[in-house]
Amino acid sequence: MLCVRTVSAALGGNSTSIIADSLEMQGSVHAYSSPQFEIQEITTESGVRVREFVGRDGLVFAVAWSGPAEPNLPQLLGVHFALYHQARLAQAPPGLHRALRLALPDLVIESGGHMRAYRGRAYLPMHLPAGASTADLQ
Amino acid sequence: MQIRFKFALLSFSAPALLAACFGNNNAATAPSAPSPVLNTMAVMVDSGPAAATGQINHAYVTVKVCSPGSQTLCAYIDHVLLDTGSWGLRLVGSVLAANGIALNAEHDAQNQTIEECVTFGGGQTWGPVALADISMAGEVAAGVPVQIMDDSAAGAPPPATCGANGTLINDVSGFGANGVLGIGVFAQDCGAACVAAATPLPIYFGCGGAGVCTAENVALAAQVTNPIAMFAADNNGVIINLPNPQNANGDATLSGEITFGIATQADNALPLTGLTLLAADANGEFSATYNGGTTALPALLDSATDSYAFDDPSIAVCTAGDFIGYYCPVVSPQSLFAVNTGAGANGAVSTVQFAVADPNALVVGASALMNLGGGGGSTSFTWGMPFFYGRKIFIGIDQRSGGGFTGPYYAY
Repeated sequence: MLCVRTVSAALGGNSTSIIADSLEMQGSVHAYSSPQFEIQEITTESGVRVREFVGRDGLVFAVAWSGPAEPNLPQLLGVHFALYHQARLAQAPPGLHRALRLALPDLVIESGGHMRAYRGRAYLPMHLPAGASTADLQ
Repeated sequence: MQIRFKFALLSFSAPALLAACFGNNNAATAPSAPSPVLNTMAVMVDSGPAAATGQINHAYVTVKVCSPGSQTLCAYIDHVLLDTGSWGLRLVGSVLAANGIALNAEHDAQNQTIEECVTFGGGQTWGPVALADISMAGEVAAGVPVQIMDDSAAGAPPPATCGANGTLINDVSGFGANGVLGIGVFAQDCGAACVAAATPLPIYFGCGGAGVCTAENVALAAQVTNPIAMFAADNNGVIINLPNPQNANGDATLSGEITFGIATQADNALPLTGLTLLAADANGEFSATYNGGTTALPALLDSATDSYAFDDPSIAVCTAGDFIGYYCPVVSPQSLFAVNTGAGANGAVSTVQFAVADPNALVVGASALMNLGGGGGSTSFTWGMPFFYGRKIFIGIDQRSGGGFTGPYYAY
């Protein structure tokens, strides 16, 4: 899980970045299709699941994760990780149990959970395919 | 702060005196029956340890920590955060050192130290796993694996993945506490997922002499463990009983108690009527639907979350003051409700009325605040500390039984 390689960003990147993610997570990839987008799901044997939502234009417009450990968020969020990290540091008062919700016009990140069950998601509202709902992004 | 500290010591020693009295009486009148162990201790909501004052809705206990097998190498660690949303005891290393307690790190089969990186909502903790004897009230758990938060960087540095997702929280100011006592519905913190994974999760690590740490599997018995599950008796769960704050805009302090065991002694029976018992799933969660919505969100009772944590874009969020990101409803307090449903076959349904209010009306110096709401994200619903005020809450540990019920469950 060490992030020493330079890989293309997942969120906001193109679907080839999913291969990089699956290699790093040592997980298996499954694809599901809906009329508006495709879901690439990477699941590790220990139950960490990452879903990457790819629009018909090939853009990864959302990622969602769940499982007994968080995935490597710098890798998964790519260029958007810096804003996430900034928001984490700005949480006031800081605390042990603080979920995070960062809602900007062009970026929404939600991260929380607890031991045995971490979950979160990040999406680019301006790139949400027509007809897709944020409720689908789980 | 000085006055509050003295009071905390006093409240701890009083039950100990009572225990001595009860023990003598029992011995005199009923020599054949075992004396009930004193199973109740004080819980205090206050502004936090001296190094991190200003805490809101943090419930603290004092824990006696001893070197394994020792009656004398012991210290009372105050301001340990009571946490029903995690499992196991974690103590800040510099606090242990200041109290003269040195605990030795556990080693794996390769003689590497076992260290742990645990993700909490707000960041990750890092440090070695060590054994300690833990006492609370009259209960003793011997040889408990605990995590030492390595705030003084005494041991191996955290691997690159630890803290990479946010921030590393290892010290008293980051915790808002001298440690955290995870007394939720499980015995071990990671459980089966960390025992035999082909690719070990980045949670437990083996650290060699050169300070290089590699993720590894750890047997259940060596994982950081909820001390309650290791008590000789009264080990099937806890009861947390806190009053309501008297002032809607916050009380300076609030005191209640925690009772160990459920239906094991005369003082910890389950009520015969009016009890809602919600079974939890393998994640320690039941489900909740918020304000008439149709989405069943994963939910839990978490005493270490300071607020009702959920997402409602229609409620205004505080943009200034000390509570940025929490809810600042225009009409305050704003009444809300959610429906809890027990996991699996249990299926118990319970509608809970609650409210969120503008926290900026907080009384100066207050630490116990009802009606605090915060954005928890739209993927879960967390009943934080405000839910615990004015309720008696039962936490039943996984696979442990009592009173006709088996954990994991939450009841109120």
